Amino acid sequence: MHELVEFAVEKALELGADYAEARFEEKNGTELVMKNGNAESLGILADRGIGIRVLVDGGMGFASTNVLTKESVAEAVKKAVKLAKAASKVRNEPIRFSEEDFHEVYYEVKMRKDFRDIPPEEKLELLKKVEEEVKGTGVNVPMRYLMYSDWMWHKIIAHSDGGFVESYIPRVSLTYNLVVFENGQMEQAPFVQRAFSGGLELLEKDEPWKWAVKDVMALKRLIYEGQKPPEGKVDLVISPEVAGIAVHESVGHPYEADRIFGREAAQAGESFVKPDMLGKRIGSDVVTVIEDPTIPNSWGFYLYDDEGVKARPRYLIRNGIINEFLTNREYAYKLGQRSNASARAINYNREPIVRMANTYLAPGDHSFEELIEDIKLGVYMVSFNEWNIDDRRYQQRYIGREAYLIENGEIKHPVRRPILEITTRALWSSVDAVGKEVEFYPGTCGKGEPGQGVPVWMGGAHARLRDIPLRRP
Amino acid sequence: MFDVNEFILKKAKELGFGDVVVLSYETNRRQVRFANNEITIAKNWHERKVELFVEKEKRVASTTITELSEENIERTLKTLLSNMKGMAPKEDYYGIAEGPFEYKDIPETFDKAIVELDEPNEYVERAINAALEEGAKRVAGVLYTDHNKLYLTTSNGVEAFDEGTGIEISVRAFIGDLESGHGTNSVRVLKKFDPESAGRKAGEIARLARNPEQGPEGKFDVIFDPLAFANLLSYMSFMTSAYAAEAGFSFLVNKLGQKVANKIVTLKDIGNLPNGYGTRKFDDEGVPTRETTIIENGTFRTFLLNTSLARKYGTETTANAGLVMPHAWNIVLEPGDYSKEELFSEVKKGIYITNVWYTRFQNYVAGDFSTIPRDGIFLVENGELKPIRNIRVSDNLQRILENIIALGKELYHIHWWEVRTPVSTPYVLVKDVGITRATK
Repeated sequence: MHELVEFAVEKALELGADYAEARFEEKNGTELVMKNGNAESLGILADRGIGIRVLVDGGMGFASTNVLTKESVAEAVKKAVKLAKAASKVRNEPIRFSEEDFHEVYYEVKMRKDFRDIPPEEKLELLKKVEEEVKGTGVNVPMRYLMYSDWMWHKIIAHSDGGFVESYIPRVSLTYNLVVFENGQMEQAPFVQRAFSGGLELLEKDEPWKWAVKDVMALKRLIYEGQKPPEGKVDLVISPEVAGIAVHESVGHPYEADRIFGREAAQAGESFVKPDMLGKRIGSDVVTVIEDPTIPNSWGFYLYDDEGVKARPRYLIRNGIINEFLTNREYAYKLGQRSNASARAINYNREPIVRMANTYLAPGDHSFEELIEDIKLGVYMVSFNEWNIDDRRYQQRYIGREAYLIENGEIKHPVRRPILEITTRALWSSVDAVGKEVEFYPGTCGKGEPGQGVPVWMGGAHARLRDIPLRRP
Repeated sequence: MFDVNEFILKKAKELGFGDVVVLSYETNRRQVRFANNEITIAKNWHERKVELFVEKEKRVASTTITELSEENIERTLKTLLSNMKGMAPKEDYYGIAEGPFEYKDIPETFDKAIVELDEPNEYVERAINAALEEGAKRVAGVLYTDHNKLYLTTSNGVEAFDEGTGIEISVRAFIGDLESGHGTNSVRVLKKFDPESAGRKAGEIARLARNPEQGPEGKFDVIFDPLAFANLLSYMSFMTSAYAAEAGFSFLVNKLGQKVANKIVTLKDIGNLPNGYGTRKFDDEGVPTRETTIIENGTFRTFLLNTSLARKYGTETTANAGLVMPHAWNIVLEPGDYSKEELFSEVKKGIYITNVWYTRFQNYVAGDFSTIPRDGIFLVENGELKPIRNIRVSDNLQRILENIIALGKELYHIHWWEVRTPVSTPYVLVKDVGITRATK
């Protein structure tokens, strides 16, 4: 396959491309679904192909094929070059890429328990275990949708600037949707996922059934003991899970440079952040947000991005100050910078675009008890269901699933659906203390057209927000 | 590709599989993406693939084969077989449709002119220019052309072929940071393609939306533009699948025969809709697509079904296979009798929402959700529009359907990034819609 990838790059240059990049991707894996105790289906994933991206006269073209012959790849290269040429005529300024250091690299994530050696019925046991443990709680859970998936993601990327990266990254994931129906009332934990880059041992060690049981018990308690949350200005402690969605939506996304420059305007939107906001304050001193693809076994893991640039931790906010945007080579050039390796594609038939990987609120110096102890009236939001944010990433809302009242420094009864609806600046300016321990939660981040759902982790430490206008449904 | 299908079916039968469905695709898709009035990238995809579904003693499995050599096909079938051994049977599996069937050509689903179209950039420029003429400063969007061939062979006597084309554009126009508008146009034949209309609408809304003020919160009568209401109906289309209901993702659970909407609401799925972006001649089992009334005069009539789910519930398939998960083809909200002007004059004090995105549910079975208006939002007072910003629709899907009080008489066919299942809908007036906003 190495030869075919190199052939694609050479062919593109021969046809007049100023820059060419060829990416072979192969995914092999298994998907299992269990619905209400029934083994629903077995899916075998086996997909591979090559995508070619070129620059010609400052225009960008992309073509892909899953017919892996020289003829077919040459045809795709020809199309990409032709499309780039035509696109260059409808541009005001040519696309240019930043200068980078490139390497020839091979890397892989090792599996202690290689899922490729394990038959599907053994993997189905993981779903059965969730079923059994949930049933074992004695709580009425009439709808149970469980999904297991694994795949080995093999990539070979070559480009005309000299970079050559080959990687093998295995990924395992378990997702559940649980509907709890008790006492004539219904609560739901939809699309909760546990996921890692690595072998099956990671999922087993994580014990997703324990998360499911915790959810079911919390929802039951919410039904029987849940009360209205306080309204008006209170203090709010958000868990690592809630901090994770908040940093993902209101820090990660608006700092994506392609969005800042309008490339995503018709789809995922633009950003309230402008290039001249680098160095400006957006949150309190205790707020530091880091984006780090290199965390071992993380769901958003990679060491080199799809443009061949070496990954590193990126400090998006440092002590409340906007520090860095997420860039690929195109937007690094526009900013007069080096790329910080944020170019990712979800498959061979997609272009690499600016993406997050693992975004988190960096730890502070408070224990959980210290965060709670001087709160007179507040809410602790542990998990969330409904959430959304406007397409400039400024007005957002998170509704608690599991949440509790805090009164005089103590955690009391559950509260129903506390609603945090707040602006980005107010959110991060209200944080006065951050916990010591960091946790991560997996998700699929949507962007691009056609859509590219990439695996990401979101998380951080607990955070305390003062004087927050909390709502009820 | 029927030769490939036949080979797969023959080999699958030799290996002892029961039900077998082989669905082959040959697709040619082009994309032109643009932003800031210029093309950001142009793409081309050419793909041949086979979606394969097999059953053996109530164990079901599926895969997609992209490398179509005989060796790989045999290897794939053997892999499926060995993987299925030891799997638990799907106790509620009841088979696939018995063919053969007869198929009718559906008008306006194929156009040679789209296949032969050499260069679509001129349509992009026309859309951009139309938006700029309306006063936009920055225009972004995407254009697609599609040419698909579909070959279906099943173990139950089906052999079916469909060939379709399409061209569509989605245009978003901006003036400042806060003033924007959106328009789309999706058709299956070139002579009906009108990229200017999408650009003009986007530009016009952006122009009307200049200098917006912070919007109010509370309960308001809301006029949903077709673009905005299509988003809600597209999310709802998933909830009309029997599979989604069983899995806990639908507010329609246990509501068959019940009133779930105002009596003026009739909602259909039309798989054979002429010029519909989701139209196909047959579903994944080969059953000829058709019109299915999901909600009739406010009453919930049926979930969307494939053969297995239909048999499970003692009824007939609605021709919406998806072999595992039935799904809608083209959702259609039947129009009413209001002109656009009459609809706006109904509203003494309300809100006009031109587009929404990021619809998310707190609870699927209850139907509680919120969604965010984007692009122009307007207070409507005695026929006048005043631009506002920063509000959120926070309500319940069933309550929205129950509170529909007037429907426009013209249908608009919507399909774009946020509306993945195509939806035809008129302008819709809903009373007492929950509107919230951030207060800090």
